[in-house]
Amino acid sequence: MQLLIQQAKIVDPRSEHHNKTADLLIEDGIITTIGTNIEANNAQIITGHNLHVSTGWTDIFADYREPGYEHKETIATGLAAAAAGGYTDVLTVPNTYPVVSTKSIVQYLLQTAAGNAVNLHPCGSATQNAEGKTLAEMMDMRANGAIAFTDGWKPIQNAGLMQKALEYIKAFNGILLQMPVDDALAEGGLMHEGPVSTRLGMAGIPALAETLMVHRDIELLRYTGSRLHITGISVAESVEKIRAAKKEGLQVTCSITPYHLALTDDALITYKSVYKVSPPLRSEADRQALIEGLKDGTIDCITSHHRPQEWDAKTKEFEYAADGMNVQEMAFSIVYDAIGAQVPLHTIIQALSTTPRAIFGLPASGIAKGEKACLTLFSPNDTVTYTDDTVKSLSRNNPFIGKKMKGRVLGIINNDNFVSNI
Amino acid sequence: MSLSVKHLLGIKELTSQDIEQIFQTADNFKQVLQRPIKKVPTLRDTTIANVFFENSTRTRISFELAERRLSADVVNFASSGSSVSKGETLIDTVNNILAMKVDMVVMRHSASGAPWFLSQNVDARIINAGDGINEHPTQALLDAYSIRERLGSIKGRRICIIGDIMHSRVALSNIYCLGKLGAEVMVAGPPTLIPKHIEDLGVKVEYDVKKALQWCEVANVLRIQLERQHKPLFSTLREYALYYGINKQTLDSLGKEIVIMHPGPINRGVELNSDVANSKQSIILDQVENGVAIRMAVIYLLSGKVNLED
Repeated sequence: MQLLIQQAKIVDPRSEHHNKTADLLIEDGIITTIGTNIEANNAQIITGHNLHVSTGWTDIFADYREPGYEHKETIATGLAAAAAGGYTDVLTVPNTYPVVSTKSIVQYLLQTAAGNAVNLHPCGSATQNAEGKTLAEMMDMRANGAIAFTDGWKPIQNAGLMQKALEYIKAFNGILLQMPVDDALAEGGLMHEGPVSTRLGMAGIPALAETLMVHRDIELLRYTGSRLHITGISVAESVEKIRAAKKEGLQVTCSITPYHLALTDDALITYKSVYKVSPPLRSEADRQALIEGLKDGTIDCITSHHRPQEWDAKTKEFEYAADGMNVQEMAFSIVYDAIGAQVPLHTIIQALSTTPRAIFGLPASGIAKGEKACLTLFSPNDTVTYTDDTVKSLSRNNPFIGKKMKGRVLGIINNDNFVSNI
Repeated sequence: MSLSVKHLLGIKELTSQDIEQIFQTADNFKQVLQRPIKKVPTLRDTTIANVFFENSTRTRISFELAERRLSADVVNFASSGSSVSKGETLIDTVNNILAMKVDMVVMRHSASGAPWFLSQNVDARIINAGDGINEHPTQALLDAYSIRERLGSIKGRRICIIGDIMHSRVALSNIYCLGKLGAEVMVAGPPTLIPKHIEDLGVKVEYDVKKALQWCEVANVLRIQLERQHKPLFSTLREYALYYGINKQTLDSLGKEIVIMHPGPINRGVELNSDVANSKQSIILDQVENGVAIRMAVIYLLSGKVNLED
């Protein structure tokens, strides 16, 4: 297959072509020419829309529910949503049934996703069945293709077990992902504890439930000398703690979600369960701290925390409704629409592309002649409105459906495939 | 004139004019309730469903009496467990009732915000009869109405709410209602039962009940909600009664006569001693009586009949 990308602005600070507008010719999945006015008679031409191109984006925490919960999201629908969202690579949360705790489930996921335009990288659970009791077979899963380890939405509560997990993965230079929530402090809470929760008569989840866990895990990291990625941080103090830990030289990285960049707890004033997420939507001061952390490099990645839920699970009383937002295919639009005026475009793109690739050891895939074409095409100027009919995910638990947003993904090129939104 | 809202989800959404209007309407209904025939034909073509997902005796009876005295047709649906435990969703339950042509739904539910959810998903007027730890708007209205009746006014009065503020929808609705009417409000109780950020609602916080009683003109004493406690928030009922309970001796030591209120049901000997609950300072039974008039007023004002009748 031949593809000719015309007049695209290249966003890749590592590339000699960064910030330049050029044509790219791609033949059989390889970038063969970068230049101006390239001619290729048989190539499919991609042009217009104030085209921008970067290294393929990587989502590091997404929930596909196959096997076990295929009514929420299958691997096929999840990967279709990922492609629409500009992702060439996705790390999945082991939130399946059975849980990804053995090599056989790792292999099942890899086989089911094989041949897709998007690469699926399964995370294995850190503890058996993500129950937080004993270590899972992380070495064996790693040897069979698990990229990293996490108990997903059920962070490890026991400090002794967390310490052992961090030690254990050093044998293969592994990395652990943890969403920082102390269950004892968060118990019974429905939303961020603050003036809004008091006004609404809803039990609160204090910022402390997160910061105490961030603090604990940084201490364990210092003790073990291992590698940790803290995902979905949501409060200002977490950013400060991670900033200090990085300065000290600890191997800690972190990520945030699109919805924590775009929304605050004020969104909950009509008790709509579509805004029920974990960690919860926080205050405006927290949101601003996340933006600052992204700008100064403390926050490494933006991850969708894609968590599809079927209509029945979400359309009920707030307290009983399931957590999560289904935003993978519009992550860039949500982020760019919310903070595009505050944060340089290349900072956002790095947090979606090259930085997560480096943390999780994916091929560097630069934009240069001879490199594999692993690319995301997007336009910061185009606007987009997602509708129930255009959404690729199986689920619709997403308050951004119907909202006109600035910043649009135009497609991905990966594995000699072109998936187009144009 | 009708209210500025279509549903009574909470006091939060009401204006002070709304509250005054409810009070004036309740004044009229209170007169009706003194007559030999305590009934008006106003809502004889209206059907109201009382849907209670949480146990309730007094609130449900009070609503039912209010509805019947307005000549509405009444159906009662009660389920002690949550809707989820019965396998039917809240929307389905209520839509089933509405399919039988019901105009209004009075709902009590254990989840905060459940009446909001209902109002967004079904086509009927909704009256909140208590939702989780959020609001109990008709209770706050009848509380304020009873204070107004006893003291003649509310603006500038010092009113203290004592007890489990954190798990009390009565407390939150009272804070909103009294605040909108210009009263000074204090909350008092063990620190573990007072929610963080409550000062942002414009109330004072006091951990010493004696000091709170010295400050106030009215003490609204709340029931200790043992059933709503997920965490150990105080030691024992004995210690609570000793340090936060109110008895005659405490009241006599104040050197002034304050008004005592309680939304019921009372844990006698815990938050209130019988010698206080039964004293002439107590307006607890006036609250109950006023509850019917207030609920008649709310139902009438939300029924859509107002313009026709006026």
